[in-house]
Amino acid sequence: MKLSPDQPIDLREVLRDLERYRPRRKGWHWREKVSEHKLGPFVFKDTSRELTHSVPLMAAHAFGGIDPQCDRTLTTEIASGRFEDDLRRMRMAAWHGADHIMVIRTTGQSHFDGLIEGTPEGVGGVPISRKQIRATRKALDAIEDEVGRPINFHSYVSGVAGPEIAVVFAEEGVNGCHQDPQYNVLYRDVNMHRAYVDAAEAKRILADGGILQLDGAHNANATAKEAWKVTPELLVQHAINCAYSRAAGMPQDLIALSTVPPTAPPAPKLRLDLPYAVALRELFRGYCFRAQQNTRYMESDTREATITHVLDTLISRLTSADIQSTITPDEGRNIPWHYNNVAGVNTARQTFMGLDGLDELVDLKQEGVLREDARAIKERAVLFLEEILESGGYYAAVAAGQFVDSGHYPERKGDGIVRDPGKGDGAGSVIRREPDYGAPVCSHFGHNALAPAHGKACDAIGGCTLCNPEKIRYIDELDPEDCVDRRLETPLAERAAGLLRPEVEKQGDGVVCLTVFVPAAEAVAEAAALEMARHMNLKDPQVISRRVMHPAEGSVFEIKGVLDMAVDIARLPQEARETPLPDAEIEAWVRPRDIHVVAATVGEDEHSVGLHEILDIKHGGIEKYGFHCHDLGTSVPVERLLDAAEETGARAVLVSTIVTHGEVHKGHMQRLDALARERGMRDRLLLIAGGPQVTAELAQACGMDAGFGRGTTGREVASFIVRSLRQREKE
Amino acid sequence: MSRLERPDDFEQRRAPLRALSDEALHARFWELVEGVVAPLIEEARTHTTPSIERSVLLRMGFSSIEAKALVEQMHERALLGHGAGALVLKLSRHRGIPVREAGLALLAGEGWEVLAP
Repeated sequence: MKLSPDQPIDLREVLRDLERYRPRRKGWHWREKVSEHKLGPFVFKDTSRELTHSVPLMAAHAFGGIDPQCDRTLTTEIASGRFEDDLRRMRMAAWHGADHIMVIRTTGQSHFDGLIEGTPEGVGGVPISRKQIRATRKALDAIEDEVGRPINFHSYVSGVAGPEIAVVFAEEGVNGCHQDPQYNVLYRDVNMHRAYVDAAEAKRILADGGILQLDGAHNANATAKEAWKVTPELLVQHAINCAYSRAAGMPQDLIALSTVPPTAPPAPKLRLDLPYAVALRELFRGYCFRAQQNTRYMESDTREATITHVLDTLISRLTSADIQSTITPDEGRNIPWHYNNVAGVNTARQTFMGLDGLDELVDLKQEGVLREDARAIKERAVLFLEEILESGGYYAAVAAGQFVDSGHYPERKGDGIVRDPGKGDGAGSVIRREPDYGAPVCSHFGHNALAPAHGKACDAIGGCTLCNPEKIRYIDELDPEDCVDRRLETPLAERAAGLLRPEVEKQGDGVVCLTVFVPAAEAVAEAAALEMARHMNLKDPQVISRRVMHPAEGSVFEIKGVLDMAVDIARLPQEARETPLPDAEIEAWVRPRDIHVVAATVGEDEHSVGLHEILDIKHGGIEKYGFHCHDLGTSVPVERLLDAAEETGARAVLVSTIVTHGEVHKGHMQRLDALARERGMRDRLLLIAGGPQVTAELAQACGMDAGFGRGTTGREVASFIVRSLRQREKE
Repeated sequence: MSRLERPDDFEQRRAPLRALSDEALHARFWELVEGVVAPLIEEARTHTTPSIERSVLLRMGFSSIEAKALVEQMHERALLGHGAGALVLKLSRHRGIPVREAGLALLAGEGWEVLAP
């Protein structure tokens, strides 16, 4: 399967012949670091290979369109409930630099005693089944070819079917996963004996499959009352999972700690979070670090969340992070929207590029509060471990509520999570192995009478599925209604008919988001904002973010609602904007030619801002490319413009027309064209009009060569001039 | 189970740790962790679960639906302690048939008498 950058991914093609699809590689992939990487005008220190296709940061056009890629793996977490919609989101995220795609599982899969098959729709995530994994892996294989970088696919091995899910992951080319029995015990109330016995088998399978494992310790941050107080316990949780994984046969370089800076402003974030980050990296030297961004203190304001996430990423750069995970800035208010996955990825990559080479500039202080606090956190963690052993071991400590207590250990508030070792999901299902217990397969942990002294255990059965994938039994669908083919019927039919709907999450959802400021006290303003949204024909409008600007002067709201209409592509006005030329290309053409341009706001019109945006170097106008601009000012008659054009030998005349009463703007354009013809100047001059009511169509109808409306950039105007004059030179 | 409440007495409790170098503190940390984990991993080495047994059958080439049914029936017959894979292999060897056929026979209710310990 091959993707073309100008075509949407073909979902029918993804689903075709899945029963025969095999992953082409297995195991985790790290980015290839390139140091002293020369790109555009800069030499980067902490980058990796560039992509073959990507969307650069927006400011990149000022630096020759460079798109440096940081040296850390970037994660985005994706969970719409429909994997077929997620594939498009993954592709967009990959173009923005994500190479670790984490698929969140549907609510409740942890308690599903066995594997899910087919493609049922999920809630808050995707039901992880073999078919969904295989289709996703197939799509990601095509996406990684398109962007030119391997993409790691990740999901979860938790709940009461961990070993089975681990087998499917190893068989189907999943590259990373979460596996931590503590998560099952504390947050999913899975019986603790069951959780640990299952975990050893799952970890052994993951290890042999080269799958990178993340732990679940970050959940203690997300659920703690005061997240910074839980840091000593976090060291303990990480350590238990690390030591248990190694005992189950997992090498250190496949074990990653999932760590998150616990606080957010207005807390003094770095003062609290940095000593903890340092303590963690010192105690766990040799393991990998997956740095997560903070979710505990996220509210509905996406800007506030983004700034916290920038600071999180700064902490990653000041310490270390092999993987920088990203949180969508809207996670505090809804299930993430796909463009917010892209926003989250960009927060991390923009921050990393800005911090490139930081190690050469800054060292962390090796005396004072940083060292003292780091030491204290470690000592508190040692005391925590001593108490576990004093209580009679891990199970007894959990039963006594030692974990996720809101006190700053050794302080205890008595509100920790309590689990009974004899209860929970799967209680009583752990069985002692008999002396003749056997398992004739690879990647099996523990006592096994069928494990030979030499060769593989699966030799007894002529090979297991991990050695002979053709033995894998693929199940397509179990439910003819709740499946991907049925869900795709309407959206694909609409797409084939050329119909488009807005969307944020699922194809055809119709959801749009408005920003409305209302100049009144909050309660009144909110009611008014919703009423305005209803008048805009939005169904079910809901306020998803509110921010008081002043108690009496007003509040700003973000409102989501459904725009229940489809646009027919065939009926759209044909005004496709041309892609502007790269800055460097424009300048290289313009500078040596000494091109003069005259410009003015014409008629009885004192507006000058629009033209300044197009001309002035400080507004990014066309002067910066080397055009000689003669701005005659405002309320200029068209005759004077042509006089000036004659005097300077100008090649282009730019007129701005803001005032449109009585359609005077049309009159000015027509008069400029007519007068230029009269004077015999028309062939030499490019006549260009701009203004909020100007369109290319209107301007051309009035005799102009081009017209530019609201939001036009200097670069677009310069591109038009260069393209036109270049064409004339050729002729 | 009673839940403990305790003030932050860190300054008293840390006294014995004060003298340790960072290295020694790290070593102490990991030694304690090993002590916590050792009984857990020993339990895993000597025990199994329905999910582990289903995962073994998956690796032997059974579908998830077949694996679930086989493990349930073995569990009901109190045979799971021998290992689901070993049981299927036992029937396969006894009858001289491929492993997959043996599993399907068990699902059809045949051959269970061979598996009695």
